[in-house]
Amino acid sequence: MSVSTVRRGVRRPGFSLSLVLPVGFVALVVAAAVIGPQLVGVDPLAQNLLSRNEGPSAAFPLGTDHLGRDVLARLIVGARLSLWTGFLGLFAALLIGGVLGLIATMVRGPFELAFFGAVDLVRAMPGVLLALLLVVALGAGIGPVALALGITFAPFFAHVARATYRREHGMTYVTAARTFGASERWILSFHILPNISGAFVTMAAIILPRCIVTESVLSFLGLGVEPDTPTWGRMIAQAARFLERNPTAVLAPVLALSLFTLSLTLVGDRLRARFDPWRLVGSRS
Amino acid sequence: MFRPTRRTLVAWGLGAALLATPALAPALANEPQYGGTLRFATLGLDTADPHRHTGSIAVQQAYAEALTSIADDGSVKPWLAESFSVTDDGTAYTFTLRDGVTFHNGEVMDADAVKANFERIKANVTKGWLASAMKLVDGFEAPDDRTFVVKMQEPYAAFLSLISEAWILSPQSPGWDDTITTPIGTGPFVFGEWTPQVELIAPKHEAYWQEGLPYLDAVHFDLRDAADENALALRSGDLHVARVSRDALPELRADEAIDVQFLKDTTWYFWSFNNRSPNPPFDNLKVREAVALALDKSAYMNFIAGADGIVTNQMAIPGNFYHDADLHASGAHAKPNLTQAKEILAQEGVDPSTVTVEMVSWQTPYAEVAAQMVKELGFDVNHRALDDLGAQNALGAYDWDLAPMASGPRADIFLRFVRFMSDGPNPVLWGGVQDEALDALINAGVTTVDAQERRAIYLKAWQHIMDNYYTVVAGHASNAFGVRDDVGGFTTGFTWSPNRVDGGLAFTHLKPAD
Repeated sequence: MSVSTVRRGVRRPGFSLSLVLPVGFVALVVAAAVIGPQLVGVDPLAQNLLSRNEGPSAAFPLGTDHLGRDVLARLIVGARLSLWTGFLGLFAALLIGGVLGLIATMVRGPFELAFFGAVDLVRAMPGVLLALLLVVALGAGIGPVALALGITFAPFFAHVARATYRREHGMTYVTAARTFGASERWILSFHILPNISGAFVTMAAIILPRCIVTESVLSFLGLGVEPDTPTWGRMIAQAARFLERNPTAVLAPVLALSLFTLSLTLVGDRLRARFDPWRLVGSRS
Repeated sequence: MFRPTRRTLVAWGLGAALLATPALAPALANEPQYGGTLRFATLGLDTADPHRHTGSIAVQQAYAEALTSIADDGSVKPWLAESFSVTDDGTAYTFTLRDGVTFHNGEVMDADAVKANFERIKANVTKGWLASAMKLVDGFEAPDDRTFVVKMQEPYAAFLSLISEAWILSPQSPGWDDTITTPIGTGPFVFGEWTPQVELIAPKHEAYWQEGLPYLDAVHFDLRDAADENALALRSGDLHVARVSRDALPELRADEAIDVQFLKDTTWYFWSFNNRSPNPPFDNLKVREAVALALDKSAYMNFIAGADGIVTNQMAIPGNFYHDADLHASGAHAKPNLTQAKEILAQEGVDPSTVTVEMVSWQTPYAEVAAQMVKELGFDVNHRALDDLGAQNALGAYDWDLAPMASGPRADIFLRFVRFMSDGPNPVLWGGVQDEALDALINAGVTTVDAQERRAIYLKAWQHIMDNYYTVVAGHASNAFGVRDDVGGFTTGFTWSPNRVDGGLAFTHLKPAD
């Protein structure tokens, strides 16, 4: 019996009102990141030293920062950069942890031992601290930050890869396929991967907000991308010193970051409910 | 059992009445009171060995004093020396030491101890301000307990200023033969418990040579060098005196419990080019001129210091002996001129859209303003904003093009010029200039005894620096301190020094609570 058989006839969790808001907010941020900068039409880097730390106005809907830059424009461009860096970090983590983890688990032997030894070593360190050290070593820029995020969060995917592969590999439908003469490659591609992809989607939904938050922390600490590059973390760090004079410049990125990561987590939770086959099996029993 | 007599009761009653008299109460409140611990946040302390320091001088003088002191007006005054004299040819200095000065261990400070300190500095200290001065020393003499003589090979105009940082310690200080771990000085406070980058707790020196001083029981130095956070701690009452960032000044000035003071000497703000190994096209003086024309000094200094910013093209501010008004008035970069800058770039065949300016700076907002100004010319800018150590390392690699930096108050103008010398200390902020002609001019300046003549030579050296666009000065601003109203007697100095001949921690006291 394959899990695809299990899926049939099971009532999957549907969209509810509690999901509309987070999905809506994620969609809004993604839309802002994709088309927002063109719509705003304001250079987020343009400094106006005569209009520093101004509150919201018709000219600047969310006010200006300490260099007289438009906070709304920076928030929107920041969404693009935060999302882009987050996704790149996620992709790197998936590649390093997921793909290499699967290969190591399949190959077994010394490679598996060495790979998972390194993974445990990385996992033993606090994520933010490790990312911070890696960025210091790799240098500034989106690429190094994404790679640092990838290395930091790779262990999560590596362990998921090993656990799910081993679980599926021992299932009767895999044994049956092998009995019928299916190659290991065929079994991996058409039986195991479809059944473990849900776990990866779930993990990705958990890791993406963590990537975005970690990138924000790095930016807040003055690491990561160039200083005038608008990321949410950098915006918070730069505006925090002027909190009393200009709270909007801090609150805007803080709210955006909080709501976005909360929404992503809620969406991820729902995705897990939708795609995790073993949860579905559990729900039937 | 004690029974007060009628006379005693009358005396007590009169005393109480006097204390209750409104006219006398403020006077008594203003009288310095003894006791209390001052919580003082300032720059850090890089080493426990004062002779080996290469960082700030914001702490050392609380426990270690020198023969001379930079007074609040910038002049050099005798301190542990009662007086000093210089021969007409400027090659011999005679110091008469103050009587009755003892180190924290009770040992008397005499000429032999002073000589031992200078010999230690000459023999062991190869970096820092004093190294170049000590190379010119012919010998030290201690003809009697209170006389110390320094003989130089040639005049050295900055000597008396520089030795305000030649701290006199007891040769009994632990680590004397290598690195001092517990400096035993003569200052009003004792080097107590030091946690690097965190704090120094310095208790009172009970036998301090200035009678009746210090008033405080101890000073608790906060060494985290967190100017932004200091402002909040000051407002909440967690700190009594603190170095604060200029960004916090509006809130501090609005707080009636806090007085804002400034160091008397200024920090100068400048853009330096990489002079050690410049990359094209910034090896071209005309291209440097174009970049300098993008610098809007008024906007830049207004951003840094608001109305307190001073715009000039020199390392000394108007009013300083070494400032030249004519040079200031004739400055080619008093105002930005992007049109002219772009014309120059076109004439030199430089298409700025194809050039990325490698910029290194500290993590300061004014560097972002500088980056934006350079971008106005059409250049792309790769801005690396780093912490102090990171910036020093990056600058030392000399693979950059432009560095918008700043440098703090100094005891002598030579200490600013020496940064431009080929063998000058820590020259990275100024692009590591290697220029024999400039070396000769600065050397000529520092070895000239006559002040006017020396000034003329220094100005010639500065003109040389300007002509070569080694560094372009934007202006000056002073560093700020916040002082709570329960602190009395504290004044900021000319430099960062917290203890001086005419002010500082020895004179500071805490006012009793109302």
